[in-house]
Amino acid sequence: MSTESPLVVLPGEAIDPSLIPTHKKKPLRLGPGLRHIPPSEIVPTVAGQLVVDHRKTSMWIEYNGGRYIPSQGDLIIGQIARSATDFYYVSLSPYTPNATLPHLAFESATKKTRPQLASGDLVYARVSLANRHMDPELECVNSSTGKSDGLGPLKDGMVFDVSLGFARRLLMAKSREEGKVEVLEALGEEGLAFETAVGRNGKVWVGSESVKAVVVVGRALRETDERGLGVEAQRKLVKKLVREMR
Amino acid sequence: MPREAEPSANEKAFLLKALQDEQIRLDGREFDQYRPLELTFGDEYGVANVSLGKTKILAKASAEVTVPFADRPLDGIFTIATELSPMAAPHFEVNRPTETEVLLSRLLEKTVRRSGALDTESLCLVAGQKCWSVRVDVHVLSHDGNLTDAACFAVVAALRHFRKPDTSMENGVLTVYTPAEREPVPLGWLHSPFCVTWSFFGDEGETALLDADWMEEQVRVASVTISLNRHGEICQIAKLGGVPVEAVALLQCTSVALTKVKEFSTFLDGKLAEDAKRRDKGGFMAELRAENDRVVG
Repeated sequence: MSTESPLVVLPGEAIDPSLIPTHKKKPLRLGPGLRHIPPSEIVPTVAGQLVVDHRKTSMWIEYNGGRYIPSQGDLIIGQIARSATDFYYVSLSPYTPNATLPHLAFESATKKTRPQLASGDLVYARVSLANRHMDPELECVNSSTGKSDGLGPLKDGMVFDVSLGFARRLLMAKSREEGKVEVLEALGEEGLAFETAVGRNGKVWVGSESVKAVVVVGRALRETDERGLGVEAQRKLVKKLVREMR
Repeated sequence: MPREAEPSANEKAFLLKALQDEQIRLDGREFDQYRPLELTFGDEYGVANVSLGKTKILAKASAEVTVPFADRPLDGIFTIATELSPMAAPHFEVNRPTETEVLLSRLLEKTVRRSGALDTESLCLVAGQKCWSVRVDVHVLSHDGNLTDAACFAVVAALRHFRKPDTSMENGVLTVYTPAEREPVPLGWLHSPFCVTWSFFGDEGETALLDADWMEEQVRVASVTISLNRHGEICQIAKLGGVPVEAVALLQCTSVALTKVKEFSTFLDGKLAEDAKRRDKGGFMAELRAENDRVVG
């Protein structure tokens, strides 16, 4: 649940105390972009829209940054840079330190049956460890259940770059209402058959039997992202692109 | 020095498959279609801002009076300086020329300087003692492929837009007038050369594309840059290594290049005319009209 009127804050701005949700028992939880300065100050550290959730007594800032900063539990699409003795070096974004992905962090992998990935291959992984002082670590399997949940190497298809904010909206559970992103659903309704994997680091992988379908999906995503289209405009764009394709 | 980002194996394979099997480019362009070309001039004379899709180049022309070279006392000096800074892409370093940078400045040199587009004799002021030194600085602001074509267009646009201060010579005394004293004059321009770069794909270079963006450049197997003006006079053809290409294909590329160069020429002429109209204050009579704004002070 977000407040009706979007409140945009700048770093260091004071937040109106009446906006902070209070609850007798539940402690206030701060999400990304906010910092608590004891005893009672809450200060934004980035510029963006302040979002308050009264049901969960939490508040955070929605912002569209340029550089991806790994955080634990994020799903990302990485590119294998090279292979070391026990793990792969995976690049999450260009010109940043590589993350490590252990050779055996795949579903039912042993030394003999593990997937052999070459430099340049793409993987859909989850960030298992991320903090400021260490290189991030990834895994392609859920460590508690041992299942892959759709993670692992991505074969064929094409990956497109999108902005970080757009990737987050695509990954939202209710992307139609909250993220205002309907592009993928609309493309599916037009009859295109494709699958996608969205990486929080600003990459979307699209795979399909038909090359044209992938190109259309890529163009739709790119246009929606670059021009910031609303839901209606997204539908029109999808119709136009599908018509051009045929 | 950070290494250049490599596209993934999936992307390379997909691009080649789309080009060879389905004959489509990722952004839906035709094989011989350029990305949208935009050109804006600055308020100062000689500043041209070109963007070809996401590739953005800024060219600035400037002139100063200096001593001519000893072996060419009747010619002025004309230099083109290109700079690829980390602003364009993180793997570029200042003062450490990469292969891209060296090739870019060589191509610009051959296209604009060696072809005699700018008449250097007109830059001479006093034989052997004073001459104009015209310098064009090319700054690449954003690199998304095809720097050569965009940079050449920016250089030509900047030089044609530029005005050098007026001079007069009396009794051995050279007077250089400021823009306030006398209107600056355009450079002595002979012809406008433009570069057209073709990229080849496939085992024998059978698929040819115009204006490759960054991703297509990473996957191409050969490229040829043809520089010519709208009269069909070729300044240079550079194919620096890569897979051998059929000679007939190369001839076809050259004739399509001529069509594109004519389009560039008309586009540039149009933009220059538009800019001249914007600056034209209507002459003396327009300044004396009663409807003009009052000047306070």
